[in-house]
Amino acid sequence: MRLTRILLMVGLLWSGASFADPPRGYPFLGYDAGLKAARESGKPIFLYFGRYGCAWCDHTNKKTFSDAALKKLYMQNYVLVYVDAESGKRLTLPSGERITEAELGVRLQAFATPLFVYLTPAGDKIVQIPGFKTVQDFRDYDRYVRGGHYKDQTLMEFLGAKS
Amino acid sequence: MRAAAAWLLALLAFPVQAEWEWSEPVTLGTARGAASFPHLESANRRGVAVSGDSVGVAWEDSRDGTPHCYLALKPLAAPAFDAETRLSAAECYTPVLIAVNGGRFVAAWEEGGRVYARVLPDGERIALSTSDAGQVTLASRADHVYAAWAEQAGRFRRIVVARLEVKENTVTVNTAKPVEARPPANEQGWPALAVRDGGGVTVAWEDRRYRHTVPMVSHSRDGRSFATPVRLTDHKSGAVNGLGAGTGAMRPTLTVWKRNRVAAVWLDKRDFLSGYDVYAAFDSGKRRFGRNVQVQDGFGDNMAQWHAQAVGDDDGRLLVLWDDARDGTPDVWLAEWNGKSFGDNVAVPGASGPGAQTDPVATLDAQGRLHVVWLEQDEAKGARIRYARGTPRHLESSRAVGR
Repeated sequence: MRLTRILLMVGLLWSGASFADPPRGYPFLGYDAGLKAARESGKPIFLYFGRYGCAWCDHTNKKTFSDAALKKLYMQNYVLVYVDAESGKRLTLPSGERITEAELGVRLQAFATPLFVYLTPAGDKIVQIPGFKTVQDFRDYDRYVRGGHYKDQTLMEFLGAKS
Repeated sequence: MRAAAAWLLALLAFPVQAEWEWSEPVTLGTARGAASFPHLESANRRGVAVSGDSVGVAWEDSRDGTPHCYLALKPLAAPAFDAETRLSAAECYTPVLIAVNGGRFVAAWEEGGRVYARVLPDGERIALSTSDAGQVTLASRADHVYAAWAEQAGRFRRIVVARLEVKENTVTVNTAKPVEARPPANEQGWPALAVRDGGGVTVAWEDRRYRHTVPMVSHSRDGRSFATPVRLTDHKSGAVNGLGAGTGAMRPTLTVWKRNRVAAVWLDKRDFLSGYDVYAAFDSGKRRFGRNVQVQDGFGDNMAQWHAQAVGDDDGRLLVLWDDARDGTPDVWLAEWNGKSFGDNVAVPGASGPGAQTDPVATLDAQGRLHVVWLEQDEAKGARIRYARGTPRHLESSRAVGR
């Protein structure tokens, strides 16, 4: 519990540094700290793969992540991880492999930022979604992930059934 | 439709493809397993070099649980590489390798937050950096040997360039200067070097001073003082309706060609909807880079390119290698400068086809032969490092008639 609090404080400090652009006021962690926190808490991971200076990331931060209820929902239920698409900083994949944050983009076949990736507490990918998204979009993704629907439905199937 | 496109691509690529005769690929390194994780990443992608009658390859892998840097050598005439040598004593990343005269090599790498160099095969390692540093690279021409790395200077890292002296089996730092004396305003990293005839040096790097990642470039006649850095990119993006700061461009690489010209190649996201593209710019010897040119052809337009490297030689050959998945899985691609543009993209045989072939590093030797090293990924067996040599067909035919 105390370790998690320390990690969250480190995350807040880290997200305040100007290496990248996570949304303000959210306790985003680096990849390794986030995976550790997720394993300890059992919470799924919300990974924000952003690019330093990216206009659509900025737009998403200002338009979507400024919503207080969404902020509360995601802070309570996810471990928040930010990865900088062009950074040389290293992270450790669940397999044990050490790669740079930029190389994670290669592995995710990222073609645009922002890219949002939901992971299990063990770090396995559930779904990845590129581009600007609304508050309602993130509420829908939350239901898909925390409701366990990803186990037997694609996101598209889930969203189609919902409408 | 896809088959027709592939057939058309093969047809269009035929004249270029026909210029190279490729050796059968060979495997490097004695370690292969699910947890070995070999990497060929380095600043300026300097992972392979030819010195005298040997080719050397440097890489990093985690065979014993910790990333370490390794080197393997192969006599040019031999069918396989000798067993590898470990360069590092502690956690190690991004090793680079260059040729120096007398059939020797110099390797450099990042270990424990510092950068080191060593003459090979039998020199002692020395520390290049005096504080926290990484992303080291090397370049040489005749007796001019340079290193560059990203070194902590206050809150951010900045680029430092060092002139090295190589005598027999020792390497020493002659001078080490930051490209800019004032503390960096934002992060700098991934330097690339090119040494021209006469010893002038060009350095390029990633820079975030404009609040997005932009390749910058500077020049020095002697490594002691540097010209004011300028952007390598001719695409000046900025905020869009007050949002963001600009598009991204990263991992610049440099090569000398025609003795005193420099070509730069990097990954560029100016077309932000299709991932990074490969772009190039040329300095005709006047220490000024001109307009940017897209390297990949139309078949690679709507997908991300990765791990691009420029490779040139004194005879004027200029190539770019990278990987992309235009054929469904990642392959290593090659494009050659024809004097006006980059020609049709050609998949490197042995580094293409089923499975994933990525992360090319390459060099041209004095005979114009292209030495290519890449990663081949097998989900069940893990990744392994592969090597092949391409010989220009005109050399191959001149050998056939006894030269």
